[in-house]
Amino acid sequence: MLKSMFKATVAAVAGLVIATSSMADWTPPGPIKLLIAFRAGGGADTQARLIAEELEASLGWKFIPEQVTGKGGVNLLKALSGMPNDGTAIGMAVTESLGYNLRSANAGLTAADFTGLSTTAGFQLAIVGRTADGWKTMHDVIAAAKEGKDIRFGSMSPRLADMAYLMEEANGVQFNVVAYKGGKAVLDAINAGDVDVGFVAGPQGKGVAAGDLVELASALSKPLNATPDAPLMSDLGVDFDADGYFVFVGPKGMPAEAQEAFGEAIASVVSNPDLKVTKIINKVFGGATTIQGTELDQLLQDGYEGAGALMEAVNQ
Amino acid sequence: MEVLDYIWLGVQAVFLGPEAFSVLGLPISITILMVLAGFLVGIMVGATPGLAGPVAMAISLPILISAFGYSEDALLPVLGFLIGVMKGATIGGAVPAILFNTPGTPDAYMTTLDGYPMTQRGQAKKALRIAHFSSASGDTFSDVVLIVCAPFLAIIVEAYLDLPEKTALFILSLSFIAAVIGGSPAKGLISTGLGLLAVYIGTGEDFYPRLSFGTEQLASGFPIASAVLGVLVIGAVFKGLEELWLEKRTSGNIAVVQDSGDQRLHVGDIKRLFPFIARSAFVGTAIGALPGIGSTLAATLGYTLGKSRHKKNKEDSDPNFGEGAPEGIAATEAANSSVSGANLIPVLSLGIPGNAAAVFLILAAESIGGFNPGPAVFKFTVDEVNPELVIVFGLFTTMFIANGLNWTIGGIFMRSMGIMIRIPKHILLPIVLLLALTAIYVQETNMAAIGFTLAFGVLGYFMRTLAISPLPFVIAFILGDKLEQSARQAFAATGGDPFFLFTSPVALVFMLLSVGVIIYATRKPKANS
Repeated sequence: MLKSMFKATVAAVAGLVIATSSMADWTPPGPIKLLIAFRAGGGADTQARLIAEELEASLGWKFIPEQVTGKGGVNLLKALSGMPNDGTAIGMAVTESLGYNLRSANAGLTAADFTGLSTTAGFQLAIVGRTADGWKTMHDVIAAAKEGKDIRFGSMSPRLADMAYLMEEANGVQFNVVAYKGGKAVLDAINAGDVDVGFVAGPQGKGVAAGDLVELASALSKPLNATPDAPLMSDLGVDFDADGYFVFVGPKGMPAEAQEAFGEAIASVVSNPDLKVTKIINKVFGGATTIQGTELDQLLQDGYEGAGALMEAVNQ
Repeated sequence: MEVLDYIWLGVQAVFLGPEAFSVLGLPISITILMVLAGFLVGIMVGATPGLAGPVAMAISLPILISAFGYSEDALLPVLGFLIGVMKGATIGGAVPAILFNTPGTPDAYMTTLDGYPMTQRGQAKKALRIAHFSSASGDTFSDVVLIVCAPFLAIIVEAYLDLPEKTALFILSLSFIAAVIGGSPAKGLISTGLGLLAVYIGTGEDFYPRLSFGTEQLASGFPIASAVLGVLVIGAVFKGLEELWLEKRTSGNIAVVQDSGDQRLHVGDIKRLFPFIARSAFVGTAIGALPGIGSTLAATLGYTLGKSRHKKNKEDSDPNFGEGAPEGIAATEAANSSVSGANLIPVLSLGIPGNAAAVFLILAAESIGGFNPGPAVFKFTVDEVNPELVIVFGLFTTMFIANGLNWTIGGIFMRSMGIMIRIPKHILLPIVLLLALTAIYVQETNMAAIGFTLAFGVLGYFMRTLAISPLPFVIAFILGDKLEQSARQAFAATGGDPFFLFTSPVALVFMLLSVGVIIYATRKPKANS
């Protein structure tokens, strides 16, 4: 009896050791440069910095955050591709950076030039309008445009502008697509009346809950959390969606154990409901989504290939 | 959420923000501490000839950001410190002007005219008291005007200006700044143009980084801190080193005059000075509200107006302006101090910086994030809290804390600052250079940024050598991105109308004014001669 208990204890301890060892196996050979593709102080930047802080606290890894903004994350990817792939340099961007943006930048890089570490969260990407305008869904906006109203459509990336263009084509209307830097800027423009509707990826939550804003359509392949009845892109005649995630990547050819260690470490932070960063992710981005390993590499590759299809559809 | 709720939240954000330590169980917020620190630093740098508020703001900003991080909690302590420096430097500048006939800041030059003669008569302390009283009065008045005007201006802008009009307004302010700073509109335009050219490298909507010659260093553009610190601070240091090298050092003996007679400031004195202070405060505030004109002109105007009034009203036994008249100090100091508050009107309501101090406030807000000065800030949302508006009222609170410090301990601290003139420039300048480069490296953490900073320093040096003011360069660098974005947005929103700047009457008026102000500034000297 005693013997079997002892055996069980040994087995349990051994199991624990094995379970934790994959994370403990790998430690970064030095301080880690964390490139951040977002403006300092925004929701995405805060997320990156908080994750780094948590990893410093729990694993003792040292991070040096640095802003490399601009060109929809392509500047970051260019910088990252020239850095050592031993785990001392990683970057946080969005999947769109490695897809549409990297492809249209024509910078001699593809998604295969990077090692996917982990996604952290998806977006609640919606077409948002003001409740006061009386539109319930995007169909109403299209109807208004057909009646001759000039619709100003705020967009925060060329890919979304392309999708707005496809929506015009499919419905025989014309929007004035106005470019902004980031979803928060689009939201401000909607609130200020500078644009009528626009793509926003999360910060609209408060305004929607308060009833000031309305989500007119989902730009994702699936319904929105707050407005599940909002039409999808396919209902509006667009065959593409704007699914996307925040993603940590490293340069090409990172050691498998480093890739795994980062993936596990990031996942353990964003899935811990007590942490501040997880609370932000839940509130603004509708909860954590951690895609890793080969599945992530495939996702990034598909995003890069799929971007070509969208560009072709627009150019036709 | 009512207006009063927002004011209250702003006050709370300052007093109940992250606490530094507690005294007898009473928490002292870090913001208050930072305002105090900034205020004391400001008085010291203001009292040091060769340094000025903007230099201290430039060097401390990157260091503060790396200390406080990029969270929203960092905004008020950092901005509070900068506001403290801004206010402290204004009163500090009068100290060497009065005691040693050397203005600590350029806008204190007029203070030497009457301050130093008073010192020679043994009235140094009294002169300092007059300077402090006038300065603090002008400053407080200006802040009140700011708090009353900025929200209304912002709401008007937001309600009546559409994207094309906003673009035209940016063009108008750049043109105005080019026309009024530095005396020559042509030089102002060169400075503005260089600033726009520099900011447009590597930026833009296209995925290809423009004007970068395919190099990776230029692809993400110049770091804003490199450009601003390089041209403003490093350029000034290079110029200062050159001057030091050229001038034979004048003998270091500083004459000390013993104080004699009554040094106190009586109610009767205040009554006599009040009309001068009031008039100058109005002048300074009005000038401060216009972007780009600055405190030196305000001081000159305040002094000139005071002089003509004094001539009419003075008794025969009173000293004339320029011979040690207390009214001269009061008129100058009230005018140059009342610029600083009003200068934040265009910053907060339009996002347009009017002087170097405002540049650093905008820079701080942009670097930390979460607060984008501009008309959108003043949205009094009812259902949910507008955090940016809370920051604005927090900012107003820090200004009043700084004013409170100014009225209470400012005078005492200021009167002990005579010693700062003894710091030799050949030691001061290298320290400033080292600190500025360190500050850049702390924020940017790469050597390319240091290289850019030094290059901008050389540019700043040549601009000073050619008497081109670097301030339009810096303001254009800060506004360039906003200008391009709003122009692109206006173009897209009007359905691709190439004449979007000329179709609405308001935009058209702004555009005509932009051309008009340059023409007017060019013709003025001829009319005078």
